[in-house]
Amino acid sequence: MPALSPDAATPVSIKKKGGERVTIGWADGHETVLPARYLRGRCPCAQCVSETTGRRMVFEEHVNPDVQILAARIVGNYALHIEWSDGHSTGIYSFDFIRRICPCPECAGPAA
Amino acid sequence: MSEIAIREDTVLDALRAVMDPDLNRDIVSLNFIRNLKIEGTTVSFDVNLTTPACPVKDRLREQAKQAVLTKVPGVKDVLVNMTSEVRRAPAPDTSVLHNVRNIIAVGSGKGGVGKSTVAANLAVSLAASGARVGLLDADIYGPSIPILMRSGQPAEPRADNVIEPGLAHGVKLMSMGYMSPGDQPLIWRGPMAHKALQQCLLGVNWGELDYLVVDLPPGTGDVHLTLVQTASVTGAVIVSTPQDVGLQISMKTLRMFQQTKVHLLGIVENMSTYVCPHCGERDDLFGHGGAKRAAETLGVPFLGEIPLDAAIRRYSDEGTPVVLSEPESPSGKAFQEIAGKLAQQVSIQTFKRIALTVVEE
Repeated sequence: MPALSPDAATPVSIKKKGGERVTIGWADGHETVLPARYLRGRCPCAQCVSETTGRRMVFEEHVNPDVQILAARIVGNYALHIEWSDGHSTGIYSFDFIRRICPCPECAGPAA
Repeated sequence: MSEIAIREDTVLDALRAVMDPDLNRDIVSLNFIRNLKIEGTTVSFDVNLTTPACPVKDRLREQAKQAVLTKVPGVKDVLVNMTSEVRRAPAPDTSVLHNVRNIIAVGSGKGGVGKSTVAANLAVSLAASGARVGLLDADIYGPSIPILMRSGQPAEPRADNVIEPGLAHGVKLMSMGYMSPGDQPLIWRGPMAHKALQQCLLGVNWGELDYLVVDLPPGTGDVHLTLVQTASVTGAVIVSTPQDVGLQISMKTLRMFQQTKVHLLGIVENMSTYVCPHCGERDDLFGHGGAKRAAETLGVPFLGEIPLDAAIRRYSDEGTPVVLSEPESPSGKAFQEIAGKLAQQVSIQTFKRIALTVVEE
């Protein structure tokens, strides 16, 4: 996995639109729009990604299509923590990780 | 008007008879009733449950409806809308840290490099320059700040569970060591260490601080993660001995801070040069300049070097840091110089940092 440039993984703005999406503006000028279900289906926590094998257990298609973001808060300097309407709240999405799963056509959504 | 005006509080009083069987409290005091509307003889409201999967949903709906119909005079129709909202476990309240301008983490790759001594002397030096300074000893394995800063008043819990920090040499103090008395060790698994550090950070009346210096345990672990997840750390200082092996290990600590986006304020080389107190000859017992070379390679500021000096050890054991006891000694001067460079790096970093918050679109 090639390293991201520091600017590519440094957020300058984080916006949330109700429960439906989070938008992150990056220091290199790029913008990442993350719809709720897309993000929920890429949760990096140990319940969604097996701790022993590293394989993803919960995919987007397993997530309720109506899943909502209840709250988003910044973790220290490096990540975003999200509480979901389905009761899940253990995922800490590092900014590096978020940039790597950017779903825009330009980034072509590299595998999460 | 022939109809009896229906009042909101009469409806709520009637609903108080309906109990949530799981939580064993009535649905009004649980704050489940939302959007209560009274239009003529029709009463409508939402019952907002804690989960959409509530097994007694239908029973509650019927009980609520009947309670209003039978107990409130004049009601002809009751519309109950069942909704749900999964209540969140409250995130830790970090508001106490809003008055703390900068949090400086002091870390090292391994134990015994003098990290706590450096942290204590830097804190005292910053306070002596007029800044408002706190020192948090987060080293669960060997909390030594109570010894290094012996004099002064100890930290004490107040009636409202807030801890009043101790005070020594102008520095507000809290130590994980205060959580176990005397020679009793802290034998904790990760979750305990996590809780204890959160309490030390958030449950202490730090007040207004310019700098909160956090003395971390050596290496990388639970305490480090908790710190970088709980607070927005301004930056980190790595203390190292000149030995390469020490630096190899320091590198891991450094990478941890990089991965969690904690800015590196600089590297300090401790136990640098030994000056013989008898003949004045210099000897580089652990080598010399290793930390400076590493800092240059990494592009991290080199904050300075501290000699291997018996006076530092002596004053540390006495609880009066050398930077106060002998400010004019080479060691005292080294600490002051490093504190100055550190403050400078913090200012640069504060200026560059963007205060991020999640904004509603």
